[in-house]
Amino acid sequence: MTEGHSLLASEKELSDFLKNVEKRAFKRALYAVRDDEAALDIVQDAMIRLAEKYVDRPVAELPLIFQRILSNATMDWFRRQKVRGAIMKNFSDFESAGEDGDFDILETLEAQDGSTASESAAEQVSRAQILLAIEGQIEQLPGRQREAFLLRYWEELDVAETAAAMGCSEGSVKTHCSRAVHALAKALKAKGIEL
Amino acid sequence: MRNQNIIISPGGLEAIQARFGLRVAAHLSESTRELPHDVSERLKASRELALERARLARRAVAATSTQTQSNGGTATMIFGGGSGSDWWFKLASIVPIAALVAGFFFIEHAHTREQIAAAAEIDAALLADDVPPAAYSDPGFVEFLKTPRD
Repeated sequence: MTEGHSLLASEKELSDFLKNVEKRAFKRALYAVRDDEAALDIVQDAMIRLAEKYVDRPVAELPLIFQRILSNATMDWFRRQKVRGAIMKNFSDFESAGEDGDFDILETLEAQDGSTASESAAEQVSRAQILLAIEGQIEQLPGRQREAFLLRYWEELDVAETAAAMGCSEGSVKTHCSRAVHALAKALKAKGIEL
Repeated sequence: MRNQNIIISPGGLEAIQARFGLRVAAHLSESTRELPHDVSERLKASRELALERARLARRAVAATSTQTQSNGGTATMIFGGGSGSDWWFKLASIVPIAALVAGFFFIEHAHTREQIAAAAEIDAALLADDVPPAAYSDPGFVEFLKTPRD
């Protein structure tokens, strides 16, 4: 116990951790629920759960715990939606969003910021289109595949940690990741995008 | 990947998958840098709210810990402290229970003795007293007289 206390997350460490993870967490939630406000609520809920219930845990444990909490918070959101009978609306949103990668040019331009000012307009549009295409394909992955893929390659958890975060076997994680990679590669290639 | 005849080992396939996955992840990371201002602000507010909750949780844990230590300190003061305080604490818990059990035995013993003394007093009074004539008309007493004695 004494050894554990010296490793407990300080307020600054917790703050740095949340700061580091919050944007990716928002995006992960957004890929799942496809609603900005809902994704923000989910991330806030996950942050508060972590802060209230796991404040006495070592800082090294926070990433895995947070990913698990975020997944659970997302599932809770879907359950609530199901109870409200809004799940069908979400599916119809899913279908319309997946229609063959037609990009809204206004949305594309809106997503740019000043840091890319040195790029030509064509390069900026092209880059933004690639990003949108990738995000679109990520959204279209089945939930478990998307979760496994993002935890493994974006959050950089290893197979065992991903399995722990998802509550499944390591074999399942490998299968989900493999399928996700194949589906993404195929879809992006079909759009003429080479990574 | 392009040539279908190339055989890739499972390890090599995993490496290719990982490389592709990390490239996709790099693009996703790029997209997070371009979040709208209001989303970034909302995330910041959420983070601050979570940190405030963490502060409250820490205070609650610290208060509980202090109270536990305080209770421990009181017990130490009562039982003399030091490494033997646990022993004293156990002894102090056992003594009242032992006293209670001893008390029950004493009460039970005293009550039995009292009953015996009362019965003996009644017997002595009966034996010393004359039998009233009316007693001989009682069938139970007659039966008692007829009963052979050892």
